[in-house]
This record gives sequence, C-alpha cells and structure tokens, in this order.
Amino acid sequence: MFCTRCGAKLTAGVNFCTFCGAKVVAPPIASPMAPPTPPPAAIPVSTQRAQSMVAPIAQAPSAHGSQTCQWCGAIFDTGISANCPKCGAALVARSSVPSLSGWLELPPRKDMAKLQFGNSSCQIEGVYVPIAEMNLAPEDSVYFTHHVLLWMDPQVRISTMSMRGGWKRLFAGMPLIMTQAQGPGHIAFSKDEPGELIALPLHSGQAIDVREHMFLAATSNVQYDWFTTHVWYQIQNDKETETFYPVGPLMDRFFAPTSPGLLLLHAGGSVLVRTLAPGETILVKPTALIFKDPSVQMQLHLEHPNAGIFTWGAWQARAVRSIWLTLMGPGRVAIQSVFERIEQENGNIVNTSYATSQYW
Amino acid sequence: MINDVTPAQAASFERIQCQWCQGMNDKAATSCSACGAPLDIRNVISDSGWREVPRIRDMTEIRFSASTCQVEGEIVPTAEINLGAGDSVFFEHHVMLWKDVNVPLSVMSLSGGFKRALAGMPFLISIATGPGRIAFSRDATGELVVLPLHPGMELDVREHAFLLCSHNINYSFVRIKGLANVLFGGQGMYMDRFVTSNMPGLVILHGYGNVFERRLAAGESILVEPGAFLYKDASVTMQVEFQKLGSGLFGATGMSMAKMTGPGRIGIQSMYVHHKTE
Repeated sequence: MFCTRCGAKLTAGVNFCTFCGAKVVAPPIASPMAPPTPPPAAIPVSTQRAQSMVAPIAQAPSAHGSQTCQWCGAIFDTGISANCPKCGAALVARSSVPSLSGWLELPPRKDMAKLQFGNSSCQIEGVYVPIAEMNLAPEDSVYFTHHVLLWMDPQVRISTMSMRGGWKRLFAGMPLIMTQAQGPGHIAFSKDEPGELIALPLHSGQAIDVREHMFLAATSNVQYDWFTTHVWYQIQNDKETETFYPVGPLMDRFFAPTSPGLLLLHAGGSVLVRTLAPGETILVKPTALIFKDPSVQMQLHLEHPNAGIFTWGAWQARAVRSIWLTLMGPGRVAIQSVFERIEQENGNIVNTSYATSQYW
Repeated sequence: MINDVTPAQAASFERIQCQWCQGMNDKAATSCSACGAPLDIRNVISDSGWREVPRIRDMTEIRFSASTCQVEGEIVPTAEINLGAGDSVFFEHHVMLWKDVNVPLSVMSLSGGFKRALAGMPFLISIATGPGRIAFSRDATGELVVLPLHPGMELDVREHAFLLCSHNINYSFVRIKGLANVLFGGQGMYMDRFVTSNMPGLVILHGYGNVFERRLAAGESILVEPGAFLYKDASVTMQVEFQKLGSGLFGATGMSMAKMTGPGRIGIQSMYVHHKTE
C-alpha cells in the first residue's frame, strides 16, 4: 500500500500515512475526542472563533491511535514521542490553547525535540539561541546561507547551490549564495540572535510565504521562489524622494512540489500564529510578520491618531502616524515579538502602494 | 565477588558521580557540590553526542576553598561569590556587578605582562580578595558554565569568555598563530589558558546563547565555526581549515572552520557576537 499524497510505502492497516500524515482510508464518522463544552453566551466572539480554528483538529481520530499537532497540523501515531515528529511542538494540551484574541503561541518545544524528514532527522536544542542539529542520510541534503553553519562532521560534503536552479535573484539587494550540505553526517545551524527556531513542515503541494532574512535552512526538495511585495511608501525630504519597503521589496516563497519538506526559520522573541477566516483582517506591524499562507493578502494601512484641533500639539501630531500591514484571510499568519523599527514611520509620505488609511 | 566488598567500599559506591564534572557527591545530594549541576536530572545529550551545559538551579551553592558561589538568574545569569578570608578570585574588571564596600580590589601583574593589547586597550585582570561578597555578570543573553578544575587539568578558553576564576588556578594566555589571519583579520588571537597546580579550582565562563559540550575521542575530529568555539581541554588540537565552496562562479567564496581533534572536551556557544572593546 502506498500513500496517495506522498507515495511513501505504508504498512497495511494504517489510517494515516506515517510520513506525510495524509488520510489513507475514509476518516471516522464522529470525533471521538471530547467535544469542547459549549461556550457560555458571554464568551467573546474572538474565543469562539479561536475554538472554531481548533475545531478541525479536534476531529483527529485519536481512537484510531493517531493524533494531530495543533501547531503544524501533522497527523501521526499516538505515543511515539512527546513532541510532534514534524515540527517539534510539545504535545501537551495546555500549549495548544490560543489567547483570548486568537493567537496561538509557538508551543514550547521540548529540549532535544526530534523531527523526522526522509531517512534523516533534525534535533532542536537550546533555549535562548536554539540550534538545529541534523543527522543527514546519504541521500538527503539541506541548503542554508553559509553564515548560519555552527559545526559539522568532517565527512559532510558542502557545495554552493547550482545557479541554474533559479538562484539568480538578488536577496534584498545582495547576491544570494546558498550552500548545500549532502549527507551522510551531522551538521548544525544557529543564528546569532536570541529567539525561536521554527520548524515548518511543508506537505507536498504546500507553499508558504516568508519575510526576508527569516530563513535558516530547508531540505533540498523544497523549492524556492520569490515575488515582489508591492508594499512600499515614499518619503520626501527637501527635494529627495526615497522609497521604503516595510516588509522588504521581495518575499520568499517556499514550495514543496512533490514530497514533504522541512523548512527552518529563525524569529526574534516569541512567535505567535493565527488562522484568518476568509475575509477576516488584522493589522500587524510590517516588520513583525514572519510568514503567511500564500492565500493571505497584504496591503499597507496608515493610521493617524486624533490629537485635537487647532493646537500646537495637534500641529506636531500631524506627523505622528502608524504604519500597519493589513492581512486578509483565509490562511495562517505568524508574527514575532521582537522586530525592527520601521524606517521613517513619521516622515512626509508623498506616495504609497495601495493603502487604506484611518483618521481618528 | 560481591561479598568481598567492605562496608567502607560499599559506602563509597553509594556516592553519586557528577556527569558534568566527574566530582563525587554524597548520595543524598541533588546538586553537585563542585559544579552545581543537578544530580537528580538526567543529562541531556543530543543524538550526535553534544551535551547541554546543565541548567544550574537557581541559588545552587558551589564551594571552592573556603568560599561559596551562587549562580542566579536565567537569561543573563549572575554569579555571586562569598569569599572566605584569604581566598580571592580574578576577572576582567568590566564584569563586576556589585560588591561589599570592604572587599579590596587589586590588579594582577601578569608574567609576560601587558603586551596583550586589545583594540588599543591594555588587558587588565583584577583580583578581589576575601572576606566579603562580590557578584559578576556579563551583559548578554547566555549561560554561565561552571567548570571545576581538578589538579593537573589544563583548559583553553576563548578570550574574554571567562567571567571569573579562583585564585589557586594559574592563568596565562597563548597566542594562536595559525588562526590569526582567519579569525580577527590580522589582529591576532589569544586564548586564555587555565592550569591547576595542586589544588582544585573553579573557572566560570560566560557563553553567548546556549552552550554545548562534547568529548572527542583520540583522533576524532569535528569542524566548528571559529566564532562558536568557547573552551577546550589543552589536549584538543585546533587548526583552521578553509572550505572552498563551489566552482569558478564563486571562486572567492569560502568559509573557514576550526578543525578540532581529540582527545578531550570541547565547548561551543550557539551565538557569537564579537563585541568591540569600548
């Protein structure tokens, strides 16, 4: 028996592909998990929405020996480990409860959490500046930017990634050189900032948009592309006009076309994720964005606070402005709690990409 | 034969050996008296053999000579020393956090002395002498690595990484000629070397981010990012290898990795910022 989604060979009788989590047989009729108690009428709408976000996951047929990771959605056999084998999230119920406003924090990853990809594995260690340690099988390889390499076995073969494979782009104005490491052997990566290491498993056919400079490493079956963000504003100082890109001029898109892949990102501070319903919007600081599903649309939003009228303070406050990024569902969005200042946020904006604005 | 074991030997078997520093502890102990590592928690070792520096419980007391040391805090930990009379610790002066008024400070005269200039600044080692309390921290996210040195041990440490060291340890520095160009663009690089004479001592290092240690077998080697190197036993050799990447297109692209060859311990840090000396 083979998985219809990823082609992995399966042992007879399993309900889900042990490799990619795809359903092999028809899902069971009813959710055997305890249904959440009906929320009292007074509960905020956001919480109900948050619960509905978790609801599809609650249909995981735990009675059949499988469970679903609340963070990445992977389905796997119950009891095999304390962490999701795809993304390393701790599988404790407490960590999967969203905040009242619907954000789900990246679950506390157990130290030494182990992830499987192909015949290789990845272990994430450390708390302040976590490192990702990979045990590459001979047929597996990963790519990364060379400055994140921490240590490796002498027998690991490294090379630059072929330019013909679409690596011609400029990465935020700089030439992008990717390094590739081929198994067998161990290799480890870390970035020089305190923060979180996010393991994003990509199911086959799944794509994800990532803000520039978040990338740490990816398995070689993950394709890499980029697109222009179309989010910019122009500031005029005297006679000079300068263009700023609060989410960067380009955004990375990672895509696992045929087989599941693993993408490692590094974000500052804490990481929060939420799923937006179709048409649902939220404003985030542009530099806080980590990744989004390609189905999520983004645009600029300018907000002007009310400072009263006809006073010197109001005159000064004209320059005070918040630059936001509107994200519109459906899809997942993730943000980080440590992010850079937006350049020239209070400058004299003369032109922008398509933007909405709000005067209070 | 089990029966041949004398009661005294049996009692000694009931001691717990610390997995981190190999010190022997009373069977009831929950933290190692020499390095503060928890004894009742399993060591965390990754698949490829790296051991995490044990999280020293807040307020664990570590003893050396007639003094005690307490390590407190999580993200930027501090080390608080209660110096016994006659005991002293030495350190770089900028890591001091607070002290009792009456703890005298002096400056160490290094043999071979002050020729070690860092960014134009002389390298000064200060000494605090007991009795009294003094505390240290370095202003960066990281971990304090408590390394008890038993007699005969020699430890090489990345420069500026040591937070403090007990007085009965011999301190010197070695210049790593082979690394000079690669690491610091011709400025040269020194490594601190700590040697114990006949008394056990204590070295506390500060590593940026998280710290991992691994024991290399004789002849076993591993390639480490030079900036991540934190400490090693003197028996571990270090030699820089230039990894050439790619072909003609990127003729100039490459990276240097430090090849560490056993036998001995090697410690690395997961974040490597090079702070300029102010």
